[in-house]
Amino acid sequence: MATLPVATRSVCPHCGRDLEAELIDRDGRVILRRECPDHGPIEALAYGDSGRWREAQRYDRPGASPLLRQTASEMGCPSDCGICPEHAQHTCLGIIEVNTGCNLDCPVCFAESGTGHQPDGYSLSLAQVEAMLDAFVAAEGAPEAVQLSGGEPSIHPEILDMLAAAKAREIPLVMLNTNGIRLARDARFAPALAALGVHVYLQFDGFDDATHLAIRGRRLQAIKQAALDRCAAAGVGVSLAAAVERGINEHELGAMVRFGVEHPAVNGVFFQPVTHTGRHPAFDPLDRLTNVEVIRGLCAQLPEWFREEDFVAVPCCSPTCRSATYALYDGEDLVPLPRLVDIDRYLGFVTNRAVPDLEVAAALSGLFSASAAGGTERTGDRLECVACGVGLPDELQRVAARGFMVVAQDFQDEWTLDVAKLRKCCVAEIVPDGRIIPFCAYNAAGYRAQVRADLAAGTSA
Amino acid sequence: MIAGVSLHDLETDPKGCCARVYESDEVRWLLDDQLHPGGERLTLRLARLAGVAPGARVVDAACGSGATALLLARELGCVTVGVDLGARAIEQATRATPAGASASFLLGDAEALPLPDASFDVALSECSLCTFPDKPRAIAEMARVVRPGGTIAIADVTADHDALPTELRSAAARLACVADARSADAYAALLRDAGCQPLAIEPHDAELRAMADRVEARLRVARMLAPPGDERELIREAATLARLAIDAIARGHLGYVLITARA
Repeated sequence: MATLPVATRSVCPHCGRDLEAELIDRDGRVILRRECPDHGPIEALAYGDSGRWREAQRYDRPGASPLLRQTASEMGCPSDCGICPEHAQHTCLGIIEVNTGCNLDCPVCFAESGTGHQPDGYSLSLAQVEAMLDAFVAAEGAPEAVQLSGGEPSIHPEILDMLAAAKAREIPLVMLNTNGIRLARDARFAPALAALGVHVYLQFDGFDDATHLAIRGRRLQAIKQAALDRCAAAGVGVSLAAAVERGINEHELGAMVRFGVEHPAVNGVFFQPVTHTGRHPAFDPLDRLTNVEVIRGLCAQLPEWFREEDFVAVPCCSPTCRSATYALYDGEDLVPLPRLVDIDRYLGFVTNRAVPDLEVAAALSGLFSASAAGGTERTGDRLECVACGVGLPDELQRVAARGFMVVAQDFQDEWTLDVAKLRKCCVAEIVPDGRIIPFCAYNAAGYRAQVRADLAAGTSA
Repeated sequence: MIAGVSLHDLETDPKGCCARVYESDEVRWLLDDQLHPGGERLTLRLARLAGVAPGARVVDAACGSGATALLLARELGCVTVGVDLGARAIEQATRATPAGASASFLLGDAEALPLPDASFDVALSECSLCTFPDKPRAIAEMARVVRPGGTIAIADVTADHDALPTELRSAAARLACVADARSADAYAALLRDAGCQPLAIEPHDAELRAMADRVEARLRVARMLAPPGDERELIREAATLARLAIDAIARGHLGYVLITARA
């Protein structure tokens, strides 16, 4: 079993310098600690519970290799992205940020997008996006999932063609990451997404005015509701994606899940602690939210439905990045799938025992990877495989296929960047020159600014 | 009716009912085919506590359909003999035994083991001492068939009956596993009375909790599938009882324990 302290590398959040670092156990929490010669000791909370951290390591498994790696290892991680030969995982989910422009100016935005003129702003062409999709297909063979993001991708004039281009490459899960404004205002947009078979990843941070004002700068409740209702009417599946911040919307986690299971368009809720990069509120790096706090908060708000053990540390990426569960819901009661199935038997470390059923294990791994979204055909097939493999009756397999997904996903920023974790990252930004850069490196190791500057200067095709 | 067994059957033939209930597809599904808490992991833990070494001769009193005897033969290289009162169980166990496996099965009563004195290194009994009407006799039998200095290994449900809520007590009275379960201390006293020296008492309430959780969750899902009406209400009630049991485990009024003793 893994023990703390663990040696790793990180960066200085003030100057970006590459630093030796270590994960230590302090008072039952895991702290990432390093010292910058110019800025002194730097500490940030890496995981809210060291016992849970140790348990999560049981789920860590060797990654798979992509078909192609685009860069060489020269300077060492995280300076050679990507993907360089040191990277220990292929990419489950590729992200393409099609623009930097937005129809909102949120106080929280890791991408630093906005409505005004941005000197380093860009808007990709359809041809550029097609070339990026081709690079992703060349790297992965048969990619599992791609997400078009921004900026606000729905305001890009060619967004539907871009989504169609992704679909044309037979990527099973094509997602649009959006704030929902166009969905709410343009009655033709949801039907167009439905016709393409696109899944919507909808920013949805809670219900209170204070939450909306703190995170989005505007009261967007009516817009979110209208966007969801249009998705439901058109038959578009939606995952709610909440940016969660200490002291702002921690109290609304349970309400968001309750709302999600009741809304016909919604198949899952993704809770993402705010990454403190780009625009964000003032914060205490030692009192930030990690998956542990998010899951505990949710369980405290919905004790009749969830407890901590219902969430599985996802084995695909580093197991402290993502924890997820699937739940069966029938309008009266909700039962998390891990209570029905001994997940450890398939994904965890068990002595003296080979994996009993490779097909079920593979289906479970797929369900708990970054390429999964609730309500999609692929997820339904995998849930059915698991339900059948563990002997659930036929009727139950059909209920299981409508499983509702709840995820806590803690992305890294300059404060929390842990290179050992980063090497296992399976969510990546595809950039116009064909590189595939792990998402947290893109945000925390300087790549975002570099790519934007290159694009603005027109030096990158 | 649960799994083809009525309340009347439970009162007139509890032992037979118990066997039928545990053999039924519905109950096996509710238990995810783990007929005792902790599954194989806890069985192997009990064997390690008992100091089982490769080649050790082990008897499993009330072996059911033989899973434990086969596991110990396969994983730890023991020579195992399983004894059970159920002819069907012995038949199943024998059929499940691969050619060349060092496990065999005998029809017989745990309270009168059909085995010679001092012929085993370890006598083991999982989740069944609580069901034996004459516990001192069953323990004396286990002590008789192990060699001097051999080990008796018990895994069983523990219960503090006075502390259980009424609903659970009346329901528990109909479930063989809980009805005559004792406290860990009471089991140890039974062993001492038989002239054995308790070596280890290891509580594993978490495994019982996990099993109760599994059953509760599966009952709730079964409720989703049941047609509206009596069946659905029965399942709802059963899920409520399971929640009471989970609560009793959390309070320490129900539990699970591994005990070893030197014969």
